[in-house]
Amino acid sequence: MGSYDVNDERLDPRRVQCVLVGMMFDPDYAARVLGDAPLPELSSRERLLLRGVDPRALGTDRYRRARAVSVLLDEFPVTATVLGVPAVDRFFATEAFRASVWARGSMALACGAWIGARAHGVGRLETAIAHVRRHWAPRESGSSGAAVASPGRLRALVVPAGTLAYHQRARQRLGPEPAVVLARRDVRTSERPPQRGAEYLLVERRDDGSIDVGTGSEPLVRLLAFAHTPRSQVDLEAEAVRWGAEPDEAAPLIADLVEQGLLTVAR
Amino acid sequence: MRALNGLHARYNVALVSSFADRLVALPRLGLGVSTEYGARRLSGALDPAVLRRDHPHYGGFLEVGVEIEKGLDAEARAWASAGAPTTYHFLDVNLDEREDFDAPWLDAVRQNIATLGPAWLCGDAGLWHFGARDRGQMLLLPPVLEPEAVAPMAQGIVRLRESTGHEVLPENPPGSVFVGRLHMLEFFAHVAEAADTGVLVDCAHLAMFQRARGHGLLDGFDGFDWDRVVELHVAGGTEHDAQGYAFVEDDHGPVVLADTWLLFEAVISRASNLRAVVVECERNSIAQVLPIFARAAEQWGPTT
Repeated sequence: MGSYDVNDERLDPRRVQCVLVGMMFDPDYAARVLGDAPLPELSSRERLLLRGVDPRALGTDRYRRARAVSVLLDEFPVTATVLGVPAVDRFFATEAFRASVWARGSMALACGAWIGARAHGVGRLETAIAHVRRHWAPRESGSSGAAVASPGRLRALVVPAGTLAYHQRARQRLGPEPAVVLARRDVRTSERPPQRGAEYLLVERRDDGSIDVGTGSEPLVRLLAFAHTPRSQVDLEAEAVRWGAEPDEAAPLIADLVEQGLLTVAR
Repeated sequence: MRALNGLHARYNVALVSSFADRLVALPRLGLGVSTEYGARRLSGALDPAVLRRDHPHYGGFLEVGVEIEKGLDAEARAWASAGAPTTYHFLDVNLDEREDFDAPWLDAVRQNIATLGPAWLCGDAGLWHFGARDRGQMLLLPPVLEPEAVAPMAQGIVRLRESTGHEVLPENPPGSVFVGRLHMLEFFAHVAEAADTGVLVDCAHLAMFQRARGHGLLDGFDGFDWDRVVELHVAGGTEHDAQGYAFVEDDHGPVVLADTWLLFEAVISRASNLRAVVVECERNSIAQVLPIFARAAEQWGPTT
């Protein structure tokens, strides 16, 4: 959220509201805002306004955080069985959560980025699913002249071998309403998620909204993952060569992927 | 109507016609009832069509709460297709965030307007979602009650009005936390003048604000331009206590608190251009809420 000189008298109403949201989700953060320790994300005037808040008023909706956790359990069910529900709950006490509020981000995608590799391949797989579910999600910004990218409905990723089967088994155990099951009992599994080898996955949202997860060849998955960030034709051809294409095959290969809808060209 | 005092220019809001001119075209809808997606499915919830059939003066119009992600339910569509009057209450736009007016959302709003044919748009001028407009991120917080928050809000109202061709009435939101030094009525007076718009006053929300701030019931009334009030809301609420902090939950229940009725009476007597009153009670049975409609009708007087 950037930082201010503590004596700054500027006031950005949006910044104040974003911090207020953080306070409502996290009593510890609220205590920091209301306390005396430096808080670089607020000007002195903004801080003064927020320090007028009665902390008891922040807790009038007792289930606010629980509802949000429930949404994340629905998005990251197997991740939650690996890390435990309290780990997912802790997301709301992180700078990652507050930064996503400020950046108009998606709570689920920010949580996925925060989870990172902590749940090994299953966390990354469920983050990829969350990505394709949100066709509107902004993609990574590319370099100038970038013209080719994988479409928002598709994510390619490399995970430890056996991750997909592990995910499917765990997902089946949780049933059709995983958030309800996870909220009711500790379902942390003794079966550790795969951590070795490599599996090459493609996650794709269909026109009817359903999501398919399947495997692909290493060169294809790596090329499409490279194109999550928009790339120039030249860079993409070089990447294709890096993963085994003959130099004179690279351009036709990319054209073919565009034809199949696995890459899109900005016009 | 109070003379415009240059607020439009000060807040950098472009206007093409005055509210006074546009007000003439706004119909008088009388008493109406609110709904939102799926409300009718709740056990014991009233059927707006039955209310209109059995008590036509109470079901004069339907205020349809719309979250684009959910769309319109069968009851709202049926009401509109029968040609009965509606208003469109948005539930998903942060008026003060320009990025919220993205093309897909605006297109969907226009489609719903085409279906409903509302007399106008209205809705709480607050924070409807944090971060992106995404799953699990909906809430409702009041605006920051400081002068810096006026212009972005006014610009959003004008943007939505011009994008839809319909009046947009900002409503004072509920809350248990109110940040900023301005009185809620003072803030909305500035917003209304800057956007040159009519407003919707929710009496239950206003009572919550007065209580939370420790104000008297009519504090802030003197500086408000009541001629801009086009619509009023009255609704039930429940008093709670959180660790000694008293607050009211805006649950639209069957019991309207005494403060809300007193404010309703005070506003009615001042709102010379009032066109509509909504009793927000969508999750209750008709029998439970008939007394609320009766009292609202009685207080508004023989003109309802």
